[in-house]
Amino acid sequence: MRIAVLGGGISGISSAKVALRFGHEVIIIEKEGKIGGLMARIANCRVGFQTFFEEIRNSPKLKVLTGKRVLSCERRNGLFLLDLDDGERVEVDRVVLATGLISCEPDTKGRRILSSLEYDSLIDQRNEALPNDLKKIAFILCHGSRSRDYPLCSSVCCSYTLRQIKWTLLRTHPEITVFYNDLRLFGQEFFLLKALKDSNVRFLRTNSKSMEEDEEGVKVRYFSGGKLFEEKFNYLVTVNALRPNPELGHLSRIFGFSLNEHGFVKEASPLQTDVDGVFACGGSLEPMNIKDSILTGFAAGYLASGGKGITGGKMVFRKDPPGFDLPDSGESFAFYLGVDDTYSSMFYEYFSLVFVELALKLVERKKQVYVVTRNSVFPSYEELIYEKARREGVVFIHLEEDERVSFDKGSLRIEGGKKIEIKVDHLILMEDFCRYFREFEVLGFSRSEPQLRWSPTKWDRNRYHVGFLRYPRSRRWETREYYAACAEALLDSEARKVPEVLEESCSGCGFCKNACLANAIETKRRDRTLSLFGLHPTTFDPIAKIDPNLCIGCGLCASICPSHAIKFDFTRTSTDRQSAQENR
Amino acid sequence: MLKTERDEIFEKTGQRREDFSVCMGCKICASVCTLNDIGKNVNPQDLLLSIFLGHIPNDHSIVTYCTSCYRCVESCPWRIKIPEIVRAIRERSKGDLFTRTFKSSIAIFGRAYEPYIFFRILPFLLKKGYLRYLPRWIRYMNFSFPPFLLRR
Ligand code: SF4
Ligand code: SF4
Ligand code: SF4
Ligand code: SF4
Repeated sequence: MRIAVLGGGISGISSAKVALRFGHEVIIIEKEGKIGGLMARIANCRVGFQTFFEEIRNSPKLKVLTGKRVLSCERRNGLFLLDLDDGERVEVDRVVLATGLISCEPDTKGRRILSSLEYDSLIDQRNEALPNDLKKIAFILCHGSRSRDYPLCSSVCCSYTLRQIKWTLLRTHPEITVFYNDLRLFGQEFFLLKALKDSNVRFLRTNSKSMEEDEEGVKVRYFSGGKLFEEKFNYLVTVNALRPNPELGHLSRIFGFSLNEHGFVKEASPLQTDVDGVFACGGSLEPMNIKDSILTGFAAGYLASGGKGITGGKMVFRKDPPGFDLPDSGESFAFYLGVDDTYSSMFYEYFSLVFVELALKLVERKKQVYVVTRNSVFPSYEELIYEKARREGVVFIHLEEDERVSFDKGSLRIEGGKKIEIKVDHLILMEDFCRYFREFEVLGFSRSEPQLRWSPTKWDRNRYHVGFLRYPRSRRWETREYYAACAEALLDSEARKVPEVLEESCSGCGFCKNACLANAIETKRRDRTLSLFGLHPTTFDPIAKIDPNLCIGCGLCASICPSHAIKFDFTRTSTDRQSAQENR
Repeated sequence: MLKTERDEIFEKTGQRREDFSVCMGCKICASVCTLNDIGKNVNPQDLLLSIFLGHIPNDHSIVTYCTSCYRCVESCPWRIKIPEIVRAIRERSKGDLFTRTFKSSIAIFGRAYEPYIFFRILPFLLKKGYLRYLPRWIRYMNFSFPPFLLRR
């Protein structure tokens, strides 16, 4: 099968990797002059896009076309005939959309007001010198996202900002202020947040659009703790919204799949557009971070290659987290979305959603509902549910950093910048729920860390985790994670499954060469020295050589070899092998 | 009861309740508000929050001073029309005798009709002493008939 991957960013090459593993031919078509997408533009990224790409770069079945666009598409006998803008015609069976996200640049661009990518290149580790007036910096989050024009949360900018601060602090120690609405962090990032707070980075839960720029810096006016402040910063970083690539609109017209009102692909079933044979991953689905891009890339590559889900290995189901019921009595309810300890913070994403869904149910029953938030995590589409709750009349009270909340016999009191006291019949605390989950083993930490390995769902050597156990989040991700785990298990089995030719035994008959389905075996010439009564004549004979890039791991050669010269492990997956060992 | 009061305000703004309740508490409105240029230290979002918490902020300094400059609306990510709320609250509040008279004059005549206003407030003026409510400089003005009347 031939698969075209449209877009050479991280999600594109992730799906290419899986498709290659299946033995399919892959053509990556990238519009820009070079592959890498948004990830390659992060100057300080330690892992680097290139690290990932190196692994598949030399694969003979991979073709990368850069600087090319698909102009039109024709369907014939189930094939897609793609016409590129240089007149080339590509024939493929499946298409994976990986068009990615683009960062919308701010309208107030200047030397002192930077976008986050600009700031990133300013503090690039490869730059010798930092600007010497890097003394006082402010970050303004949610610039352009979560608004009437673009209601989604960009889901990565909070995390990205945190890392930028970390990179800054590694080199110099400016005064840093972050203006935020909510900190949409995941997993380990909450620990990073704590570390940054401990190193005197100021986080203020307020925002501003009053910026006056001059030669030396930017004057920002903001309202915090019940008072108005005016401060001058040397640099101001506006953290901009990530929007779908406009190219997606063009592609939707030529392929005929539909987009939703935000410009992202409408999924007919997970990772699949409503046109047969066209799959989608990464930033063409929704704003997501690198790890999720890899995850959806794997999953889409798996489905496009015809993957049907795990057939080997062992599936372990754990019980669902319990449902949450609320009492019928009472007129007013208050939810408190806030925890103090860092570990429990990893549940913000889950309970933000759970609480808001409960709140919506209560509002439907005409109850008065308050949600007091210390922070709330509604990344990408979840933001729409949050918006809906606000529209339906759930009253949200946003606590600033130094505001305290206390509960006292049916009343909830807030002190600090604003003074509020409300009487409520029922109080629901996130803390209580978190306590319940203490004994759950969750893989939370790695929700957002793109490690060197491409391993979005791996727990340890033999286990892949999806759903609640991987990281408590919206259920939409469960299926995606499942297929990603299938793909990952398949990729992991690759290394062990290429058969090995035992040189002493191979007679060079070439049976395996004829048997191989993937033409991965060649007979090579090998020189041999014979010992003949003191004479040592050199002669040569053929020997089988397996190209691991082409081999699909079927094991046919090993079973057919008359000299038993090919060693192959016939157990299906590593998980299988482990359980076999346990049984022994 | 509070609820009806609240709904009344929203009705007067000509918008739906959800157009206001969608506020996400970013306080951008406070960062740009004109009143903060003149040192009033206000947060327009307060208005929304206290309305949703069930308290009509009749004497909040924004209600008193808002200039309807619409700066907050321009900058608000959700384009929440806070000055409309202010207008509604002002409209709803009874106001003093002069405001009420002025309003009813507009309602009846479609303009500020002085004779009507004069007679409406006459008892008040008489009771309190006529000139007390006129600015001091009026006393020193030369009152004279208009020239075309004098010519006859
Ligand atoms: S991740 Fe969401 S909350 Fe954070 S800055 Fe981006 S849009 Fe705002
Ligand atoms: S296992 Fe053997 S027969 Fe199968 S593809 Fe690999 S080399 Fe070819
Ligand atoms: S319209 Fe009123 S509340 Fe809004 S910025 Fe102007 S003065 Fe402030
Ligand atoms: S700017 Fe708009 S959304 Fe933000 S606090 Fe003010 S009214 Fe609410």
